[in-house]
Amino acid sequence: MERILEAPPGSKVLLLGNEAIARGALEAGIAIGTTYPGTPASEIGDALARVAKDAGIYFEYSTNEMVAAEFAMGAAASGVRAIVSMKHVGLNVAADALMTFAYTGTRGGFVLVTADDPSCHSSQNEQDNRYYALLGGIPLLEPASPQECYEMTKHAFELSERLELPVIVRTTTRISHVRGPVTVGKIVEGLKKKEFVKDPTRFVTVPAVARVRHKVLLQRLKEAEELAEDSPLNRIESVNGGGVLGIVTSSAAYNYAADAADELRIRGDILKLGFSHPVPTRKVAQFLRDHRTVIVVEELEPILERAVRGIAQHQSIPTKIFGKDDGVFPRLYEFDQAIVQAGLKAAGASGGGPLAEPVKIQNLPVRPPVLCAGCPHSATYFAVNKATNKKAIFASDIGCYTLGLAPPYNAADFLVCMGSSVGSAGGLAKVNDQPVIAFIGDSTFFHAGIPGLINAIHNGHKFLLMILDNRTTAMTGHQPHPGSAKGPSCCDITAVSIEEVVKGCGVKWLKVVDPYEIKITTEAVKEALQQPGISVIIARRECALIAKRDEKGAIAKKHYIDQEACKKCRTCVDRFQCPAISSVEKVQNIDEALCAGCGVCAQVCPYKAIKEVN
Amino acid sequence: MVDIYLVGVGGQGIITASKIIGDAALLAGRNVLLSETHGMAQRGGSVVCTARIGDVHSPLIPDGRADVILSFELLETLRALCKASVNTAVLSSTERIVPLSVSTQKLRYPTEEEVKAQVVRAAKSFTRIDAARIAADAGVPMSSNIVMVGALAGTRTTGLDMKHFENAIEMNIQRKLEENLRAFSDGANHVRPEA
Repeated sequence: MERILEAPPGSKVLLLGNEAIARGALEAGIAIGTTYPGTPASEIGDALARVAKDAGIYFEYSTNEMVAAEFAMGAAASGVRAIVSMKHVGLNVAADALMTFAYTGTRGGFVLVTADDPSCHSSQNEQDNRYYALLGGIPLLEPASPQECYEMTKHAFELSERLELPVIVRTTTRISHVRGPVTVGKIVEGLKKKEFVKDPTRFVTVPAVARVRHKVLLQRLKEAEELAEDSPLNRIESVNGGGVLGIVTSSAAYNYAADAADELRIRGDILKLGFSHPVPTRKVAQFLRDHRTVIVVEELEPILERAVRGIAQHQSIPTKIFGKDDGVFPRLYEFDQAIVQAGLKAAGASGGGPLAEPVKIQNLPVRPPVLCAGCPHSATYFAVNKATNKKAIFASDIGCYTLGLAPPYNAADFLVCMGSSVGSAGGLAKVNDQPVIAFIGDSTFFHAGIPGLINAIHNGHKFLLMILDNRTTAMTGHQPHPGSAKGPSCCDITAVSIEEVVKGCGVKWLKVVDPYEIKITTEAVKEALQQPGISVIIARRECALIAKRDEKGAIAKKHYIDQEACKKCRTCVDRFQCPAISSVEKVQNIDEALCAGCGVCAQVCPYKAIKEVN
Repeated sequence: MVDIYLVGVGGQGIITASKIIGDAALLAGRNVLLSETHGMAQRGGSVVCTARIGDVHSPLIPDGRADVILSFELLETLRALCKASVNTAVLSSTERIVPLSVSTQKLRYPTEEEVKAQVVRAAKSFTRIDAARIAADAGVPMSSNIVMVGALAGTRTTGLDMKHFENAIEMNIQRKLEENLRAFSDGANHVRPEA
């Protein structure tokens, strides 16, 4: 059963924050959903993909976030409702479109969900995407629970149509990836088709139009602020009967602040901002006047804090204000109750007992994420190390294969964003004498690798590009990408050939290898590095998890280590990496339950001590 | 308020286990919040889930505040002890998944007795569960996670009835439901704290 589709009106169901967003969108009557997957936003798109056919909506996994946003903009500008979701850094890709779409505005409700990742649980940075609301002049909603994810998404569509502006719903990992009870309403069938009424003085942003539309945007933001003043999403809650201490907060920080205030038995009030941009100035000013001290509790950047300080200064309100700028709260990482409790105390709140001193067991073996048993990337990296003796510079990219960074492969030297492998490789090669190898996944290649490759051909760069093609977007949960021939039931898709794209970019030297064939792959890398310009190797082998799930694809012949033949050289653990192979008390072993049967370790062993299980 | 801290290794079905606990709580008419932390990989890394039954805003469990630590892997049991106090019941599967760091950095994987000694020092009780064997005996070798949910139910610390858990399992498990329900009840029957 698909809860987000089948939960009847009025029922209470346990939903992930991301699923609650999807349900909210369905109840708002969306016609269109798009995304490019990225943790912690992926489950929004995945949930819509699962139900799209039955719900009668159009859903697609787009090539990247910008295309996803532009597609949704085209539909929403025509007059239907559309939602586009992405992780925080995905909005960097879509930002170009969004900044100007705020000028044109929209006819149908347009909601962009961005999921931030304080503490970088699964991201390359912890940027605070509330800045995009400020940068673009875009109304911003910040849910704090699954119930609010549902309600605010639904509300965002109303707001978007009322203001004729795009609306951002911003979550964080601890909102998107929290499950809680959600009381749902009725799914309505929204408008699916709408004739686009031409209006170039609004939708074609040549300079003369843009100048006018910027003015319109600022007027709309004034209206938005009025709506925020009276919005039930901006509410004051009394703690222990109220008092002279005030807390201004939003998003996940609200949850920690509420629990901390309760535990500290603070007598005061919490101003919880769910509709946090534009900041409701009158409401905040009154809250400041009503309290002797106001503490601003927010994760990451001091955005609310500076707005609150600005209002106090502007209106000469003497209330003492605490936040990040005075060091009471950190500007780094995700918060928790203990951090907020300590901050409230540093700002003068008293009460509550000391928090427990945690038991810490020292020197436990670490368990970072690793490439899976049977992972084709592991085989590729072994072959590359063998071919280059690690004497190369590795420009890496975003995907499971980034884990090649770790020993024994050390196969990542530079990485900043999706597609940066191809772009940076040229610069690395230009000023270094070592060979340069760029690694990019199949999904990432389509997402952001192609312009870099065209640039490299056009400007005569020299490096080897290895496209690690595991036939899926693995890290985020096996979503399809433009190279996929098959997607979820909703999506009628056509596979775009990586080879044809590569050739079309002007690449003259291209080889496709099966990374499970270590020798062939090693030779291909050696040969590629002898080429004068750009060489491309596509290392193609289906993700081992999919092969296992479908019980096909992998060679699937379990292996074991013949202890009599084993010379204890440790090659299988020191130069190769497989979670199924362990070395405990100087004895190497293969855990048959974990073994994916790829047979790569048998090629890695110099003494032929790794054999097939009969 | 009952705080359950679930730990283990990616691929062990910890998120499914937490969903079952969450649905069971909701079926019992209680409030509940779950959180999940899974890093940048599909498999193999440490995974942490929290289940907080009761009225609370924060999904994360503060250090030293877990009522129950439900661990799916022996080494992860030790890593979870930051959430333990003298009031915490620790339920640990005896399953061992040797992390690569043990092989590559030539570290030692702790013995069961060493784990027990550390847990006993930090927590109220320690219960070992041979979840893999119990699951295999029930005919569902991949369902160690269901055995562990059974163990949790068997402690009677959650305030939820067996029926709530069983109904929640039906909501979350499609394949081999009967065997999974057996794995659940076998897990519940195996809870005998050693210390």
